[in-house]
Order: sequence, then structure tokens, then C-alpha cells
Amino acid sequence: MKLSTLVTASVLALAAAPVVAADKTINIAGFGASSGVVGIFGQNSGAAMAAAVEKINAEGGVTLADGSKAMLATEFYDDRCNAEEGISVLRRIASTDALVAVGPTCSNVAEPLFGILQAKVDDAGDTGLQFPVFTDVAIKGGLAGISEWVFRNTPSEATMYDNLFAWIRETHPDAKTIYGGVEEDFAHSRFTWYSVMKTAAEAHGFEVVGEAQWLLNDTNFSNQARGMRRAEPDVVAISAHPFTTCGMLREMDRQRIEPKVLVGLTSSSSLETLTGCANEAEGIIIPTSFAPVNDEAKAAAAAVEAKGGQLDLHSASAWENIMILKDVIEAAGIEGTAESLEEDRRKIRDGLATLTEAPGLLGANKRMPDGEAVKPYVFVNAESGNWEVLHNPGS
Amino acid sequence: MDFYLGLLQIIGVHTLLGLSAYVVLLTGQVSMAQAGFYAIGAYVAAMCTAMFGFHILPAILVAGFLTAAVACVVGFPALRVKGLMLVVATLAFGEMVRLFFFNFTWQVERGGELIGPNGAEGFRAIRFFPENGWEIWHVTGFIWIVVAVVMGALWWIDNTRAGAVLRAVGHDETAAQSIGLNLTAVKVGAMTLGGMIAGMGGGIYAHTVTHIEHLVFGVLLATFAIAYPILGGLGSVFGTLIAVIFIQGFLVEGLRFLGDWRSLLFGALIVLAMNFRPTGLLGERMPRIFKRRTGEKLELKEAE
Repeated sequence: MKLSTLVTASVLALAAAPVVAADKTINIAGFGASSGVVGIFGQNSGAAMAAAVEKINAEGGVTLADGSKAMLATEFYDDRCNAEEGISVLRRIASTDALVAVGPTCSNVAEPLFGILQAKVDDAGDTGLQFPVFTDVAIKGGLAGISEWVFRNTPSEATMYDNLFAWIRETHPDAKTIYGGVEEDFAHSRFTWYSVMKTAAEAHGFEVVGEAQWLLNDTNFSNQARGMRRAEPDVVAISAHPFTTCGMLREMDRQRIEPKVLVGLTSSSSLETLTGCANEAEGIIIPTSFAPVNDEAKAAAAAVEAKGGQLDLHSASAWENIMILKDVIEAAGIEGTAESLEEDRRKIRDGLATLTEAPGLLGANKRMPDGEAVKPYVFVNAESGNWEVLHNPGS
Repeated sequence: MDFYLGLLQIIGVHTLLGLSAYVVLLTGQVSMAQAGFYAIGAYVAAMCTAMFGFHILPAILVAGFLTAAVACVVGFPALRVKGLMLVVATLAFGEMVRLFFFNFTWQVERGGELIGPNGAEGFRAIRFFPENGWEIWHVTGFIWIVVAVVMGALWWIDNTRAGAVLRAVGHDETAAQSIGLNLTAVKVGAMTLGGMIAGMGGGIYAHTVTHIEHLVFGVLLATFAIAYPILGGLGSVFGTLIAVIFIQGFLVEGLRFLGDWRSLLFGALIVLAMNFRPTGLLGERMPRIFKRRTGEKLELKEAE
């Protein structure tokens, strides 16, 4: 009787062993603006991360260094697009058992946040925070170079707009002039017009005949549109987020400004633009690193929608980041214990640093030595209240 | 632990901002210029360390004195008006400063990189603390030493004739003038002192966040600056500290888990606090424990 009890207990213990191992959890924290004017970006990222984690867990989780399985878990922290709060949130995340953080949403948070991290790995003289950050949304160019603990999976706007203007030159040979509209007080939109769009347009032979500036909180665009109407440009490029893009497009419609080509900012290739001004945005062309053009992308979009979010070029990066991190966790030999936390974080950083290519929803993303990514992209345009793929440079 | 030390840094820096408004409020003036002074201090101190290699201490002193000078110059014309007109005038000054930095570009080459204010792009790489081996608790300690010195100085002023003069002007200008007080000198003096504290606070802020840009120093920050002493009460410097802990520690950080509801609750709790404690969390009078000690000192002096 005693022997049978012992055998039963042993069998139960053995059977329970994998369950115990699978009880291990690897935490990946998300953070960004999930409230305020740009809150929708953070909400979409949070939903994309949750959907990706659910998919991985449904497939058995991640394999750890000892061969056991662990489930992924994620929690999203709101920084309200505020630099001080973003720093505080990252310090809070670093004080938990999270191995890596995905975020932030806003470039004006990313810049100070990356500044508090150690600039060069293993630099004993630099007391900056040593914690890996894998950015999904903050898209302003060149930010990953601030710290070797930072990696970004944001598309290269320089490449995308360069090819977009080359394509416009080819498909609209009669278009000669361009007029820029820029949301002047937002880091991303300002940088993209002055350092990306304008440069690319000029490089492809477009003459800049004027610029209109406005601010994120502006609601009246009549003066800006009047200047645009006087210049009679062939191409109008609007480097602004959905809220003021819609304001400007409505005013352009009111003043009957009808350029041959209308170009928008990457961040405006989202549902918000279509919800806010589908009619006025009709025909606007935007390069984006996400569109549901294949089965994987369609499935991801459906999974994120089920979590209450929308998959666009930003939240698609959040989804991809989780998938990339799964591969890194498995390749780097993460132990997933409380004792190995610091070591595991370093392994994640080193794992991300050694990647030269990573899987993405539109194809393979190239990982650059400076922590940035070059992602596949398509040109979409607004058509009857939907974003439709207009041209796929990769096809 | 680092998270709590980081939070203490935020509370410390915001306390300096609140104290800068507290001094001006003592004279009965509502100044919305504090965010502008804070911005000047932030940019000046950052330029001193990042562009010219200063140590943090002289950098924030330079920032403090320069901002004090600006506040003094601004104080003369601004304080010719009062009440709502002063609010509008100081708000306009704050916006003017913000837009100045929005357009201000001055970069120098250091270590092969361009460092300095770059207009709307902001001012990156203000990394004195990590680059000089300061651990987070060093930085927190440094900030709280500055806060303690400033609070101590204001506490001392509050218990001298100078404090009585400030409060006299704040309570009744006509009565203060009738006993021979120079109103302009008192108000400009308070504005100058407030500017200096805001400048020092801004200087430290720039180094804790490593990157500053014009957007940070807007109307919202100016509102927070005057909200701290008003919410905390003008009875003593501790009211401002309590209000900063309440707002930054509890409302901003403690309620983060509430997501979207946090912003809503944030406003509601402040309205509620002001309804239950209309004269501020600590009230208009000095807390009894400090009052007793001050009273004892005064009695001793009288006895002598």
C-alpha cells in the first residue's frame, strides 16, 4: 500500500513537472501614450502586444535555456506622451521582472528616455540605466543611435519617401511643384517634412513653392490653405498627424484646392484619418510598412481587432516586436529566473544587437548596426473610406 | 528602488517650481511666467554643462542668477498691472520665452557631434549626471539638498521682517503702502527671487530628463506651478511640498493603473481637495508645530 502511494506520488510529481515549468512567465512590458490626444496609438500598440502574446502562448509559449516552456505576459503602462512620465514609467518597468520594454509612442518621450540609458554598453564611466528598449511607434529618424540599449522596429521614412517621390515623378511626369504643410510643434511631423519629405522631393526634381505651418492644437487652417491656393502646387505634402491633417484637408476642400497628387505622413495612414475625414482624404498617398496584403498580415489584423485595437504601421511594429523577441528569447538562452534577471536583460540586448534580419508582416525586416530597421513597405491611398494598396515597390 | 528615487527627483524638481510661484503668490500676485523662467534656467544650465563643460553646481547657479535678472527686468513692467491683467501679461511672457526656444538654434561641436539647442527639435544629450558617474541616489540627494536649502531660505525669510513685508503686501496693498512699504520693490523682489528658484529648478530638470524642448514649458506647466502653492496653502513652504507629493506622487504616479480614468479623476480630486480645504491642504496659517517654535523664539526675543 505504501509502495503504491509512493509510486502514485512519483508519477503525479513527474506529470506535474512540465506544468510547473510552464508556469514560468516571461514579462515583456509595453509603454506609451494610451490616453490624451495621441492615446489611440498606445491603445493600438497595447492591443497588438496582447494579441501577439496570446498567439505565442496558444502555440506553447517560449522555450527557455533549460528546455522548459514559459508563457509570455505583457502589461501596458501609460506615459501620456509626457517625457517626465515616460522616464518614470521606464524606471518602474526596470524595477519589475520585465526583461525588455516595448515603446514609447511619442518621439518627444523617446528622445529623453533614450538619454537616460547607458550610451555605450560596458562603459563603466556611464551610469545610465541598463535596460533594453525595443521601440515600436516613436518614428522620428535616428533616435536609436542615442543608446546601445535601444532598438527600433520603426520603418525608415527616408527610404520610403525617397522612393515615393521617385514613383510620383515617374507616374506624374507633368507634376513640377510641391507645397508642404507641417505640424510644426510635433517632433516627428516637423522632422519628417524638413529632413525627409522636402529633401526627397527636391532630390527628385520637385520645386518647393511654399510651406504652411500649424500647431498640433490648431483648429483653423484658412490662412495656411489660402497661401497654398495662391501657389497652385501640383503636389501637396502634409506632414501632420491625423487630427490636424483632417483639419487642413477640410479647409483645402472648402477652398477648392485640388492638387494632382496629395501626400500624407506615415502616421496618418490609420483609421483615425478615415474616421475623421474620409471624403476629404480621398486619394491621399502614404507610404506605410503595414497593410493587410497577405494571409499573415490579415490574421494579425483580425487578432488585434479582437483585442479592441487596429493594426496600422505603428501597432504592426508592436506585434512584430513580440514575435522577434520570442525568437531572441529562444536563441539567447534566457533562464527566466529572478536570479538571472540582469543577465537575461543583457542577453536580450545582445540578441537584438546581433540580428541582421527579422521576420515582419510584409516580409523580412533588415536590422541595421545602429539599432534601426529597414522594413518592407507599400504605398496606400484612401479610397472609398478604406486604405487600398496603390503600389508595392517590393513586388 | 531606482523607480522611487526617480519619483523623488520629480517631486524635488516640481517642488522648486512650486516654491518659485509661492514667493510671488505671497505678495498677492498670480504669475504665469514661472514656466518661462523654468525654461530659461533649463536651457542656460544645459548649455553650461553640455556645450561648455561646466560642473552642474555652477551651471545651476548661473541659470538661477541669469533667470533672476530676467525676472527682475520682466517684473518692473509686468507688476504695473495686477489681477487678471497680470495673469495675461505673465502668460504672454511665458509663451514668448517658449517660442523663443522654439526658434533658437545654437550648436557647438563636442566629441564630433553637434550639441546645443536646435529649435523645435529641442536640446539633446544633456547627460552630465550619467557621463560623470553620478548614480541615481547621488542625483536624488543633490536635488533634495538644493530643495532643502531653498526651503530653508524661504522658511527663514518667512520668519523675518522680509516675510512679514511680503505677506503684508499680499494681504492689503493699500494698507502696506500706507505704512511706507515700497510696493514695486517688494513685488519685483519677490518676482526676482521666484525667477531665481524657477531657473535653478529648470536647470536641474534639464539634467534629469537629458532632453528638453519648447513644448514642455507651456501653459500646462505654468498652471501646475501656481497650482502647487495654492493647493498646498500659503501658510508655509511645506504646503507646496505637500501639494507636489499629492499631485506627482499620488495623482500622477499612484493612479497610473487607472489609464484613461486617471486624467478625469485627476481634475475631480483637485476640485474636491479645494472644496474641502479652500485655503489649501495645509491652510493659510503656519502648521502649529512650527508656529509654536517661532512663537517661543519671538517670546524669548521680547523677554530679552
